[in-house]
Amino acid sequence: MLNRPRNYLLAAGACVTMALVALPLRPYLDLVNIVMLFLLTVFLVSWRLEQGPAVLAAFLSVALFDFFFVPPHLTFAVTDIQYLLTFAVMLVVALLTGQMTAGLRKQARMARFEEKRTRALYEMARALSGALRLSEVVAILRDFLRDVVQADAVLLIPDAHGELRPQDGMRVRYELHLAVAVYEGNADDRRASKTMDGVCYYPLRGSTRIRGVLAVAPLNDEVLLQEDHPLLEAVASLIAIAVERLHYVDVAQQAEVQMASERLRSSVLSALSHDLRTPLTILVGLADTLNLSRPPLAGKQKDMAEAVRDQSMRISGLVENLLDMARLHAGQVKLRREWQPLEEVVGASLKLLERALEAHPVRVELAPDLPLLEFDAVLIERVLCNLLENAAKYSPAGSPVEIRAHRNGAMVEVSVGDYGSGIPQGRQDRIFDMFVRGAPESPMPGVGLGLAICRAIVEAHGGTISAANRAPSGACFTFTLPVGNPPEIIEESLPPEVAA
Amino acid sequence: MSALYSRAIVIEDEKQIRSFVCEALEQAGCQVFEAETGAQGLVEAGTRKPDIVILDLGLPDRDGVEVVRDLRGWSAVPVLILSARADEMDKIAALDAGADDYLTKPFGVGELLARVRALLRRKSRLAEDGGAVAVFGNVTVDMARRIVTRNDEPVHLTPIEYRLLCALLASEGRVLTHRQLLRDVWGPTHVESNHYLRVFVGHLRQKLEADPAQPRHILTETGVGYRFQL
Repeated sequence: MLNRPRNYLLAAGACVTMALVALPLRPYLDLVNIVMLFLLTVFLVSWRLEQGPAVLAAFLSVALFDFFFVPPHLTFAVTDIQYLLTFAVMLVVALLTGQMTAGLRKQARMARFEEKRTRALYEMARALSGALRLSEVVAILRDFLRDVVQADAVLLIPDAHGELRPQDGMRVRYELHLAVAVYEGNADDRRASKTMDGVCYYPLRGSTRIRGVLAVAPLNDEVLLQEDHPLLEAVASLIAIAVERLHYVDVAQQAEVQMASERLRSSVLSALSHDLRTPLTILVGLADTLNLSRPPLAGKQKDMAEAVRDQSMRISGLVENLLDMARLHAGQVKLRREWQPLEEVVGASLKLLERALEAHPVRVELAPDLPLLEFDAVLIERVLCNLLENAAKYSPAGSPVEIRAHRNGAMVEVSVGDYGSGIPQGRQDRIFDMFVRGAPESPMPGVGLGLAICRAIVEAHGGTISAANRAPSGACFTFTLPVGNPPEIIEESLPPEVAA
Repeated sequence: MSALYSRAIVIEDEKQIRSFVCEALEQAGCQVFEAETGAQGLVEAGTRKPDIVILDLGLPDRDGVEVVRDLRGWSAVPVLILSARADEMDKIAALDAGADDYLTKPFGVGELLARVRALLRRKSRLAEDGGAVAVFGNVTVDMARRIVTRNDEPVHLTPIEYRLLCALLASEGRVLTHRQLLRDVWGPTHVESNHYLRVFVGHLRQKLEADPAQPRHILTETGVGYRFQL
């Protein structure tokens, strides 16, 4: 842009040149037409230059016109008083023309400026849509601000703990408490987000929540122009969209990684279970085959074959427990919850443990008003089996085992009780932990997984499990299942003979 | 023994398991044919006219469920599934596809033979087309006259309970999945209403079993369905 003194000189020069050009034409032209030439000069000056030179040109034109062209010549004196009106009109027209052209030019310049910024904004939006990392977003943002508004910026994005962290742009001296206020939505007033040193804070508003804060500081310590605020707000929303998009890209990637690792874990578990189960199946089968071979085995060999079979079955149970525990811990077990009567799963558990419970009379007392419960039958059967197996294992032959269930408020309580020696004092709470057993050096086989599995299953159903000793002897394990909202069963219409 | 002179096909890829299963069946008097793959098993089943097929669900070449479906396309031969416990859904799919019973690995030879005998018995009974009267425990079901008595006292069953009892009786010795029973008794639009089935099975047990909490005839196959046992 041309500097100011030069513009004034140019304006003066233009007027003087016009006077010099018009001087030889004085005899041939009317004064009215000379006025027109001076007006043209003022117009040209105000079109090309600024308003100041235009004003100078207006006054200078009037002066030159008076001095050289209005009789008497070469003096500012005026003989005919009507020329004063000519001067006044000429001055007013010149000044108005100058002002209007200057205004128009300013508007045109503003329009060009805005167009340039809008184009820059579009280009930034396009660049942002291709950004794959936050660092790229920051680079694009800083390039834009440097080129368009002569500012620098820092992007503050919350980390995993919700604390705002700067992403590059360390030269911006932002104040964290102001940024946090904007991030938490406590600084709606834009003035509140603007500090003394000219740093402005803009929230990055995503579709669901504020994704971070953009802090903009002018380069060269210039205070940011007021007109830049709408632009910076537009920039902030573009950045917000980019940051949000990157966030969701991240979420999607994490989900994919998690799914892949879960798939891997489940395939490892199922391969393991297959590889362990196959040899165990063979062992059990071969031991049975030996046992049933003809001619029949002698007493001792028969016992040994039976022992092989029993031990293999035990290992198999152990493997199942370990795999179940691994699955439950990995959160792999999807509950297949269905509404069903408790009675059915109790019956199934007793049937499964027929042999283990041979030596114990079983008492079942289920309250008649038990509602349907929503649970995974296979898993609750496992809980009952583990509890019943323990009861049979830790109580003397011939002593009864009891299963009771009744409703207690929003829960149904199911308990399995025995008449054994009970749980050693002080271990009631710990026996549900993994690899913890009632009596550490018990002669009974086991590794202390059964109750841990019970707890994992019951808790997955939203219930609790506890153990207690009861008087005079024996242990009682109680677990609860939530009642929920059982579906209504529409009973069929009664047949006519009963209805009548 | 009814297993005598029966023909069995054992489809199992694990050599050792196959060999002891075959050994047990042979000792029980069966004529046994072995197959290592599903494809080979189907060929054997087509040519040997077996009385029973024992099928492992985890075959290397084909999905066991598919083998059952294929087999059911042209044969009603009883199928006993061998499966691992973790494959609950496969087991149900195989039963839905028409398998008759399943054994969970590891299993004992005694258990295997008991299941095989039950299926063979059932097959021969079907061939005889037994009468319209079924007796189990102290309950008698006269299907021609639609009368159910327990200890010679008439028992009143609602229409759905009766239909359910008939469906169970008709498939005695087999495992019926929830889906199969719901389809048979309530119709194909109710195959997801498992709780209805469970409630009505509970009713039947109350009316027909000596101890409904420890049933002897209407047995629960947890997570799978029911089995009716005479």
